[in-house]
Amino acid sequence: MQWPPRVRSVASIAGLVVLAPLLGGCSALYPPNAATDQGADIRNLYTVFLVPMVAIFLLVEGLILWSVIRYRRRKGDEELPVQTHGNNLLEVTWTVLPTLLVLALFFVSWQTLNKVDAESKPELTVDVTGFQWQWTFAYPQYGLSYTGIGDQGPVLVLPVDEVVHVRLHSHDVIHSFYVPDFLFKRDVIPGQVNNFDLTLKDAGVTYSGQCAQLCGMDHYQMRFTVRTMTPADFQAWVQAEQTKTRATPTPPPGGSVAGPTLQLSASNTTNFDQSSLTASAGQPFTVVLTNKTAGAPHNFAIRDSSGKVRFTGLPLAQPGQTVSYAVPALPAGTYTFFCSVHPNMQGTLTVK
Amino acid sequence: MATTVLAPGATRIYQRSALYEWLTTTDHKKIGILYLTNSFLFFLLAGLLALVIRSELAVPGLQFVNSSTYNQLFTMHGTTMIFLVLMPFLAGLGNYAVPLQIGAADMAFPRINALSFWMLPLGGILMFSGFFFGGAAAEGWTSYSPLAQAKYSGSGTDLWIVALLLIGTSSILGSINFLATIFKLRAPGMTLLRMPIFVWTVMVTSLLILLATPVFTSGVFMLYIDRNFGGAFFDPASGGNPILWQNLFWFFGHPEVYILILPAMGVISEVVPVFSRKPIFGYKAFIFATLLIGGLGFSVWAHHMFTTGAVYLPFFSLMTSLIGVPTGIKFFNWIATMWRGKITFATPMLFALGFLTTFLVGGLDGAILASPPVDYALHDTYWIVAHIHFVFFGGTMFGVFAAAYYWFPKMFGARLDEGLGKVHFVLMLIGTWLTFFPMHLLGLEGMPRRIADYSPAAGWTDLNTIATIGSFVIAISVLPFMWNVFVTLRGPRDAGDDPWDAYTLEWATTSPPPPYNFDHLPPIRSERPLFDLKYGHGARRALPAASLATADEGAH
Repeated sequence: MQWPPRVRSVASIAGLVVLAPLLGGCSALYPPNAATDQGADIRNLYTVFLVPMVAIFLLVEGLILWSVIRYRRRKGDEELPVQTHGNNLLEVTWTVLPTLLVLALFFVSWQTLNKVDAESKPELTVDVTGFQWQWTFAYPQYGLSYTGIGDQGPVLVLPVDEVVHVRLHSHDVIHSFYVPDFLFKRDVIPGQVNNFDLTLKDAGVTYSGQCAQLCGMDHYQMRFTVRTMTPADFQAWVQAEQTKTRATPTPPPGGSVAGPTLQLSASNTTNFDQSSLTASAGQPFTVVLTNKTAGAPHNFAIRDSSGKVRFTGLPLAQPGQTVSYAVPALPAGTYTFFCSVHPNMQGTLTVK
Repeated sequence: MATTVLAPGATRIYQRSALYEWLTTTDHKKIGILYLTNSFLFFLLAGLLALVIRSELAVPGLQFVNSSTYNQLFTMHGTTMIFLVLMPFLAGLGNYAVPLQIGAADMAFPRINALSFWMLPLGGILMFSGFFFGGAAAEGWTSYSPLAQAKYSGSGTDLWIVALLLIGTSSILGSINFLATIFKLRAPGMTLLRMPIFVWTVMVTSLLILLATPVFTSGVFMLYIDRNFGGAFFDPASGGNPILWQNLFWFFGHPEVYILILPAMGVISEVVPVFSRKPIFGYKAFIFATLLIGGLGFSVWAHHMFTTGAVYLPFFSLMTSLIGVPTGIKFFNWIATMWRGKITFATPMLFALGFLTTFLVGGLDGAILASPPVDYALHDTYWIVAHIHFVFFGGTMFGVFAAAYYWFPKMFGARLDEGLGKVHFVLMLIGTWLTFFPMHLLGLEGMPRRIADYSPAAGWTDLNTIATIGSFVIAISVLPFMWNVFVTLRGPRDAGDDPWDAYTLEWATTSPPPPYNFDHLPPIRSERPLFDLKYGHGARRALPAASLATADEGAH
């Protein structure tokens, strides 16, 4: 049938409005290229779902648009349209066809699920511990462990082409280990160790990740980095790190004591139990930190009024530990002490 | 059609002051209007919270609020929108329309009805008072344990719990009231299969509330015991199980999604036929689909927990895939209703069309999430935020506004202005797409939800800025609506009984109806008794319309 020009121009404008963002957005409608074998499977599966969904979208929006334009009531048309109450054949069709479609999609998805969740004999096992609001990445077979400080998350170094088995631990609240380039996340749940395998594809790449499950005040800062290496480079990196760790043995908890001793404790991740400390000017002193927080490590650090960090106590006091930090002499003045892991935990240090 | 004339003496009622009358009323129509007004006030409040959230996210860096306040903002936004806006909006519409549509004089338990309503503002005030007592709840509307345990969160969470106990009790009482009304007070001739679709959706919704909400209220009560009396239900540190909370919460939380969408679908099923001048296509299939959604709705809850590693994935994936089918049936029914109709575009119909075009996305982007591996990628990202808002804002809120424009003449005897209504619709439609569509792309790029800030290096800035602009367009769109209500209520009340040439019983009485609703009822021989009265039962072809159409028919 011939439409009046006004209707045609309205229709073509409407068509443009609907189609232009769709065409432009086609690449934007995809997740990033997957960094892992498992992620690549998920990305393929996403396509299998996206294509019928976009097709249904276009079909239904098209039908709505068509009905609205074609069956609008003309001026002066007072006659009732035919009062159709239904059509069994049509209704059965649009019940059965979608059912078959979703069943097919479900079976494809189930296949991928079995592949993605499969676990084989791992060449490397990594322990990931999430706590408010940082991560610890540990390599139990190599005796290496890294904890992030402040808003700088730790780096997880992983070899490519090898099966890496990741174990997820939490001792406080629920977190979620999420790397967008892996197209994957898994919740980190206290009282339950979650596992998954991954096999990375490209060496020499850095991926950013962050916690995906709301875990309190600084959830948004719980970021980390994944760096990939060839298996040979990875072995070299492990040996270099092991040598470095042996060269600087961690002082025993509660060890070196110099000068007067200040007691400090922490029972949560938002503030220290003490809000102020006092020390003498020009004299070294020792801070004994007792960590009473169930899930998270702490330490003791100092910055001056200009914001410059004057002292960072290491190692971190793990939950339940007591650690002594020998602080060198400071000139008189007012300082801020804080926890490097939780920079929001602050107090006033008066040196006089 | 001539305006109904009430029997002499019908309007003589016991006179009280307006304030006393509104505070103590047990009239379902007044309680319905109270529900709607209260919901609208909380809608403005939750909208303001959303504007602060969107302003904070417009560009990287913390400009307006710190992260602790930010967490309170989205927690209160989500909780308010779901429990104090959408649910009571629909309960209010049900309260107003259900007794009228089935030809009853009132709800079955008028005083319980008033009680159900008055618990809501009380609960809302309690929940918001957290802002003045050391911070409101900040664990998200899902309030996952252990984060919601006393050692990780403040007293705002206790207020949140108490408020939800009140609101939960209110909806349980309300649902019993609806069920009793629908099963016992239908007018003679109003069989179950002659009830308007809206009444059917309220009935199924009430069943869902009755089965799901007690589980939730028990859950929050257990959380209260955990926090205050050392219970060990959900805290692994004392032998509890955090996944148990998630199971209890989502056993309620997923049917809740259908609680919030079914009555809106009911509204659309009232509006689309009337403005297409055809009956709903496939009435029985529509009811079947509604019942199917209600039933399947109880077997999909763990799709919110695919990434916990504590769920039997294939079962919940299968059930979630299947639940898309009945919603698809409804879409085809609505389109077939418009097909070969004679569609007019009054504001209620525009909002119904907004519902169809926008809610569709919320259905499709949700169907993708039924696949556990895809959910591994998209769960807890902005894709989820996009999905929930396409369903609840693009779906339910468009349905609510369609209903508001549709039933306003019945409630107050005056039609809202069409011009202002169209401005409202266009702005709201543009704002909705501008705000929520980019969130899909943010989710694909890996932006997690519930974060107060993001790095400028993440590449999420442009899309976030667009979403923020969209949110302000939505906010502006509400202004013409408020002005419209204000102006219309000051104008003449000349809408007449049946301004839309509609089909159902509420249009067979005066606007507004008398306290007892009906002087006399037309015979009820189909799901469109008023249509039968005007055009003859079983009309398949047009009757000479001029003699029957309402006087103002040519106006739209």
